[in-house]
Amino acid sequence: MLTIRAFRRRWIFAIFLIILALFLLFQVFNETQSANASVYEVQHTLLRQPFQWHPKVSDVVGESSNITVCRNSVQGRQLIVDERGYICYHEGLTSGGCCSAQLGVSRYNCSTCKNNGCCYVYEHCISCCLEPQKKPILQRILQEARDNKEKLLVSVSDPFELCLAKCRTSSKSVQHENSYRDPSAKYCYGEDPPELQLVAT
Amino acid sequence: MGWTITIAFLVVLLSKPVHSDAKQDWLQICNMSLPTQTLRTEFTTSVVDHEYLVLFSGYYDHDTRLRYLQSALHGVPARAWSVVERDNPAALYPSDFDLIQMTERTLPDLSILKRHPAIRDVVPHRKVVRTLKYLHDEEDYKPYETLESMSKSRNRKSLSLAAAYWHSPSRRGRNLLRAIPKQITSALQAEILWNMGFTGVGVRVAVFDTGLAEDHPHFKPGRIKDRTNWTHEKTLDDGLGHGTFVAGVIASHKECLGFAPDADIYVFRVFTNNQVSYTSWFLDAFNYAIMKKINVLNLSIGGPDFMDHPFVDKVWELTANNVILVSAIGNDGPLYGTLNNPADQMDVIGVGGINFDNQIAKFSSRGMTTWELPGGYGRVKPDIVTYGSTVRGSALKGGCRSLSGTSVASPVVAGAVTLLYSSVLDREGVINPASMKQALIASARRLPDTAVNMFEQGHGKLDLLRAYQTLRTYKPQASLSPSYVDLTECPYMWPYCSQPLYHGAMPIIVNVTILNGMGVTGKIVDKPVWEPYGPHNGDYIDVSFSYSQTLWPWSGYLAVWIAVNKNAARWEGQAQGHVTLTVQSPAQGEETEPRVSHLKLPIRVKIIPTPPRSQRILWDQYHNLRYPPGYFPRDNLRMKNDPLDWNGDHIHTNFKDMYQHLRSAGYFVEVLGSPFTCFDASDYSTLLIVDPEEEYFPEEVSKLRRDVDQGLSVIVVADWYNTTVMKKVKFYDENTRQWWMPDTGGANIPAVNDLLLPLGMAFSDRVIEGDFMLNDHEINYASGTSIAKFPQDGILVTRTLKDQGHEVVNGDSKPAPNVAVLGLYQTSMPGLGGGRVALYGDSNCLDNSHMKKDCFWLLSALLEYTSHSHLIPAFTNLEPVTLPPAEELPVRMEGNHLHRYSKVIEGHMGTARSRPLPPCPKLVWAKPNHLNVTAASNLYQPQKLLSVNTFDVYHVPLPIGKGDLPDIEAEVKHVPEDTDTGLPHKTERASVFPALAFLGAALVLLFMLNQLYKKRTKPKRKRPRLKNYSRLVQGPSV
Repeated sequence: MLTIRAFRRRWIFAIFLIILALFLLFQVFNETQSANASVYEVQHTLLRQPFQWHPKVSDVVGESSNITVCRNSVQGRQLIVDERGYICYHEGLTSGGCCSAQLGVSRYNCSTCKNNGCCYVYEHCISCCLEPQKKPILQRILQEARDNKEKLLVSVSDPFELCLAKCRTSSKSVQHENSYRDPSAKYCYGEDPPELQLVAT
Repeated sequence: MGWTITIAFLVVLLSKPVHSDAKQDWLQICNMSLPTQTLRTEFTTSVVDHEYLVLFSGYYDHDTRLRYLQSALHGVPARAWSVVERDNPAALYPSDFDLIQMTERTLPDLSILKRHPAIRDVVPHRKVVRTLKYLHDEEDYKPYETLESMSKSRNRKSLSLAAAYWHSPSRRGRNLLRAIPKQITSALQAEILWNMGFTGVGVRVAVFDTGLAEDHPHFKPGRIKDRTNWTHEKTLDDGLGHGTFVAGVIASHKECLGFAPDADIYVFRVFTNNQVSYTSWFLDAFNYAIMKKINVLNLSIGGPDFMDHPFVDKVWELTANNVILVSAIGNDGPLYGTLNNPADQMDVIGVGGINFDNQIAKFSSRGMTTWELPGGYGRVKPDIVTYGSTVRGSALKGGCRSLSGTSVASPVVAGAVTLLYSSVLDREGVINPASMKQALIASARRLPDTAVNMFEQGHGKLDLLRAYQTLRTYKPQASLSPSYVDLTECPYMWPYCSQPLYHGAMPIIVNVTILNGMGVTGKIVDKPVWEPYGPHNGDYIDVSFSYSQTLWPWSGYLAVWIAVNKNAARWEGQAQGHVTLTVQSPAQGEETEPRVSHLKLPIRVKIIPTPPRSQRILWDQYHNLRYPPGYFPRDNLRMKNDPLDWNGDHIHTNFKDMYQHLRSAGYFVEVLGSPFTCFDASDYSTLLIVDPEEEYFPEEVSKLRRDVDQGLSVIVVADWYNTTVMKKVKFYDENTRQWWMPDTGGANIPAVNDLLLPLGMAFSDRVIEGDFMLNDHEINYASGTSIAKFPQDGILVTRTLKDQGHEVVNGDSKPAPNVAVLGLYQTSMPGLGGGRVALYGDSNCLDNSHMKKDCFWLLSALLEYTSHSHLIPAFTNLEPVTLPPAEELPVRMEGNHLHRYSKVIEGHMGTARSRPLPPCPKLVWAKPNHLNVTAASNLYQPQKLLSVNTFDVYHVPLPIGKGDLPDIEAEVKHVPEDTDTGLPHKTERASVFPALAFLGAALVLLFMLNQLYKKRTKPKRKRPRLKNYSRLVQGPSV
């Protein structure tokens, strides 16, 4: 036989349990929602982002330069590289942002890049990275980025954007946070981080 | 050192102006003089012929006063004047005035007396007859005349200062504190731009902070375009409220409004809830921001490490990619030399804070940038200031809260910049980090408080509407910050205006920033040209330049070195001229010619005849090292929350007050940014070495020895050094994830001892602290060293203090009896020309960073001794002290890394060795290009940027005339709303929680109904219960 007290106790206990369960449910729901949002986004939107391997603009330097519009690397102190892989000085840019035919223009310039895929000059890194022979490396990098769900590299849509992003210094370029692994050759298109240089003693 | 979020949860700052000392005295005195009945002294005066009262800036003894007068009147024949001797008991004590009598009929120009820095005023001597009477205070209260200030009491003296304030036009009695405006947006009149239809549409603004909830009610639905997390915590939401507040100030559209409610918000979570963050997180997040083509980025964060190269490079890369970066200057004020990175970078808009009373907020970091020390001079920062004290913004869970800090001021500017950006989207081609900064700077208004210098307020207070007008008509160009160099303009151009130039002085350096809105890269064509103005004695100054070879990104520097040439060695006056330079950037778009901008930098300096050797002091900057790059620990071991010595140790940063004191005592202080081998000791009376961390070249040691023999005096103010204590103060650095071991103590005592060795002196490795009395002054000795070796015939001051080293190492306190804290020594017989040496063991009482009580008087006394060979009475009758012999002198710590950061030593096979002595800097003076022009008397004009179509910038139409602009206290009337204006805005939060709550409630209800139903359908249970009840009720009666 149940007494009223026992019954009441159970009743309150049940309400308490339910509220607790609801609270936990809500917490878990909320947690997964916010924490998984980025992963979700990467998986469902970014990974479906089309990646176009073929160049978007004409290959020939200076040809009908009034019409051709190129994206370029914008930031350079002196050099600038356009999406076709041509390197020039800022002065050598056409109105469309392509490197125009003039002295000193070179394509797929790897002159400051080392064997490990790290370059002294950011623009050289991009130019070198755009070289068609590098496609397998880029494919591997892209695949790896998708596997690791790296926000930056999975949201690029073509080799130029990929090279632009990959060549930048990143968390992989530093040791002890506030110094470069390699202060000179720090722009890498390859899979490996810059070679670790020992701090001079 | 990790990053800090630059927010201060400050409440009481509102009513505290920074420059309050003089003002507060004055206020107190005003209060005292405002009763209805006033004691009024009436007096009749008559001028006594040929007698003048000379008032000094401090209290000096008889001989010192006489010397000052002699040096001030050195052009006047000695028989032409005499001092009227006072024959009263007070004559034995220091005084602040003298009566001089002119024997000649013709009055000499008394203003030459006033030029002497130690002389405050000169007035004709008057006979005064006073009568007292009480007045009912109905007449106008008149400020005291100068005469009153002559009386000798201390209070009155400060009153005369107050009278000066009273006369200045900008001061209108006591300031009422302004009411805090309800909306920060109306304080900057953002409504006017809103009414023109600009609300931030089409601008991508990034908030790098602690995150933001997806469904915060203050943000318009859909405006939060992206939220990313770069920390190791698996959440995108803000747990602190900092990120929410910052984002709210930029883009909230409800309750507490933000500036650009329709901007696209990109939330970057780079700070954890524990306020941890790493450089590498920032690098990746910045890369993402570049790819997302962010227009405006707010960084309400900062740290002291401007040598974090990966970070600094990345910030450059960011602005080079057209991201306008707005950052908080730091909350480490009112100390100077406290600017935070990245706000101290040329390409970043660094924002300081003010309160709603238009005064610099006390917490706002200030002072020159310290990157350029020791050989150069810092740049002007912050760039602009805006409201950062008790600003209202979004709270974590909706609603509003009030916060203070420069991280509040930063989003105010970032929000304003976003709004501005959207208002000129049609001119997107000309908007870039440089042009936006140029427009903000050129349109900023100087604070009404004229006592605020450029290293505190930058170019002044943000003016949103003028910035809009400037931007509307902006034409790509380069400009300079500061745009002119008027070294006579005080106090705005402090510290330049605090000391005139003279021949033979170390050249002064003005570090001007070039902002180039024409392109991300540019260069200075040819060389800057110095064009002295003939009629303005411009030929008296020599000018030299150093400048950035490439202006990238969007900016560069132009350092102007100014010195007085030989022709003006005995000349006094002002010299004027200007520097012209041409900046060029590559052509853009359809342009065929490169973009070119011609700039002019007007320069005006004040020149005086070279002061005598006894008044010239040299400050050694070369041997001061600081954080970054290495770990140089604090000078006061008690200050555990500020472990680093990071303010630059310059006379214009953390030794600012000491410098001001020396100036007002009549000394001229010059800065040595090169080794001791690079100065002519015969020019200076005293070399001041304070808190040095650097090593010394052997050549320096021998040169200094020779200099001292030939009459140069040296004051060394050292600090603690003890290798055991150094090992104790190592700490784990969050950012670099490494243990940090200091490379020196507070000072580098082993190196100082090398320098002092030829003099037979040395400091010990004891760490001493305590308070003691010296010459009736209380002195706080905070983590200092003691003198271990001193010549027998020297003067030593000993005190019994506490052994702090023992306390740090063992944890318990131990007295340190008879510690030698101060030593004075004359190197050879007086008259033979040898210099004097003074040693003191603790620098904290000269350094503003952790100062408890200053000892500027002691420095003055030491300088009296070293420069004038005059001992103050307190040091004359001391018992001779014999130091215990054979005390072991401190040695350098095994395995320290000082050689990595030193200019003097380098690592060599595991040991440190001296580098070759560098050549002394030789300046090449620019060939002057003489101009026969007369210039304006006032160089300062609100900076004007060139505009398109040569049309006046400030006539860009605004919907409301300037006169009708609403007052900032006014309530907001025009809130940008969605199309359904008038209707209360509905919250559209994701409906997960309400649904769950409803579900839960329903479940509970169901359960209860079920129980009720059970109760009704089970009568069996009911009966016993009733029985029980009846039993209970009837029990007693049965």
